[in-house]
Amino acid sequence: MRTDVWTTYSLQDLLMFGPEVYLRLCVRLNQDFWPWQLPVVVLGLLVPVLLGRPEASLRRLAWLAIASAWVLSGAGFLLTYYSEINWPAAGLGWAFVVQGVLLAGLGLRSVSRPLNPQGRRFQLVWWLTVILLPWVTVLESGTVQALAVFGLAPGVTVAATNLVPGALSGRQGWLLVPIPLLWLTFSAATFWTLQVYWLLVLPVVGLVMLVIGYWLSPSPAQSLDRQSAHHDPAHR
Amino acid sequence: MALTRRQFVLGTALSGMAIVSRPLLANPSGTETVSAIARGIPSTGETIPAIGMGTWITFNVGSDPYLIDQRTRVLETFLTAGGTVVDCSPMYGSSANVVGAALENLQAHDRVFSASKVWTSDQSATREQTRSSLGKWGVARFDLQQIHNLVGWQGHLETLREMKASGEIRYIGITTSHGRRHRDLARIMETEELDFVQLTYNVLDREAEERLLPIAQDRGIAVLVNRPFQGGQLFRRFEAKPLPDVAAEAGVSTWAELFLKYVISHPAVTCAIPATSKVDHMQENMAALYGNLPNASQRQELVAYVRSL
Ligand SMILES: NC(=O)c1ccc[n+]([C@@H]2O[C@H](COP(=O)([O-])OP(=O)(O)OC[C@H]3O[C@@H](n4cnc5c(N)ncnc54)[C@H](OP(=O)(O)O)[C@@H]3O)[C@@H](O)[C@H]2O)c1
Repeated sequence: MRTDVWTTYSLQDLLMFGPEVYLRLCVRLNQDFWPWQLPVVVLGLLVPVLLGRPEASLRRLAWLAIASAWVLSGAGFLLTYYSEINWPAAGLGWAFVVQGVLLAGLGLRSVSRPLNPQGRRFQLVWWLTVILLPWVTVLESGTVQALAVFGLAPGVTVAATNLVPGALSGRQGWLLVPIPLLWLTFSAATFWTLQVYWLLVLPVVGLVMLVIGYWLSPSPAQSLDRQSAHHDPAHR
Repeated sequence: MALTRRQFVLGTALSGMAIVSRPLLANPSGTETVSAIARGIPSTGETIPAIGMGTWITFNVGSDPYLIDQRTRVLETFLTAGGTVVDCSPMYGSSANVVGAALENLQAHDRVFSASKVWTSDQSATREQTRSSLGKWGVARFDLQQIHNLVGWQGHLETLREMKASGEIRYIGITTSHGRRHRDLARIMETEELDFVQLTYNVLDREAEERLLPIAQDRGIAVLVNRPFQGGQLFRRFEAKPLPDVAAEAGVSTWAELFLKYVISHPAVTCAIPATSKVDHMQENMAALYGNLPNASQRQELVAYVRSL
């Protein structure tokens, strides 16, 4: 007779918690972290501005902010809170830390030039994501305390920073794609099974951001805005 | 839980069934007594209430103080209504810790019939996992230790027998669910000495009626029934529909009661273990522990009605 632990379970059976418990994680995180979400969000909003600045130190700060957002949401939300009720969250938490290290490494290497000449669109998309996306958890839970803050909540952090791989020159950006894709798949499957359909906006927007990031990329082959790519080739 | 449960009075029409007299605390006067439905465990004759409580998903709330307090109220409602059997497993995330916290808050360790599980393919880890679960529950020993989903069952069963012989646990069981591996379970039930089996049985999933429940009756094995609401699916499908005409005669006034009384009115069933995260649902579910049960022909009518919807 078969004795393997996992082969007897379907995806539905592996979902170990209910929607209320998941949304409470956001509430608890916000309560425990208060008032630090304010500087974190301000820094998050400054990221696209800093990335486009000529001063290398400011760009470095932006990369460190992006990397820290991953480490913080990995070590905070995933490892400290989510893993208590969902075992795979622990592995994902460590993957977020690795992604933070990768982002810091690759970002700081590319810091010798401003990110790209199409900063305006990059900025706008980034800001819209950081400002609007957090509200999906509020819509789902009915309480503003569940706001999914950039830098703390993984869904919003991943969605906004998914603009970044496409903005990096060369092939190195692709190194930053697997972990976000893993998270997007995992969270989409979780939210679908939990039937918290508002939250599905998070992985969907995350995926769209990845595509937009490459679309906004300065490479003429990838960018739809060839005009601006021509104008400022030195900044690519 | 002590073997002699003072409130339970043995002897009813159904084999192995007992009636429990206890004050119905919902009654403001606190004086009226009603009879709770209980069943005997065939291997000892000890009786347990026919409605217990599951903890899969519902009690996995991590270390959230607000939710732990809320689940404590759920357990309190269960105990107040006369329930004792609480089922958990190391597979259920933080559920065992939350059960332990709720028991501690209520100081109710000796009021539960504790049913835990071993869930590891490492067949030498039976004792270690049992010890770990005991620590989480905060009880000195488990009333029932089950092998979860037949995982590593041969090795675990051997160790559980030793543990039972030395008094470390009181009863041994083995579980399955979702209708999986019934043939394997039937073979184990026919060849091994077990006190309990746990399986899925509800008004729609009735495969157990064919083989497993008759074997349990023949071999004197107590039956815990999981997923009596098909994981909540039965409510989503039928709750908006009217109850059948036969409901009132069959002692049924809500859908929850219908689903549960259908299960516990099978003579081979010892206890159904529905799970809930809500106090009002627990109250509704525990109503099934009282009043009439459907007889054989009413059971058939209930099934026919539900299938017709
Ligand atoms: N292999 C195994 O050993 C195994 C497998 C499966 C299950 N089990 C055990 O059996 C227990 C029961 O099975 P289960 O939890 O899977 O499923 P279940 O008890 O059939 O259904 C639980 C669901 O029903 C809902 N519910 C409960 N009472 C309700 C009411 N009065 N009105 C409306 N909805 C109600 C609950 O939601 P609310 O929280 O909103 O009330 C929950 O979603 C488990 O908790 C576990 O302990 C063991």
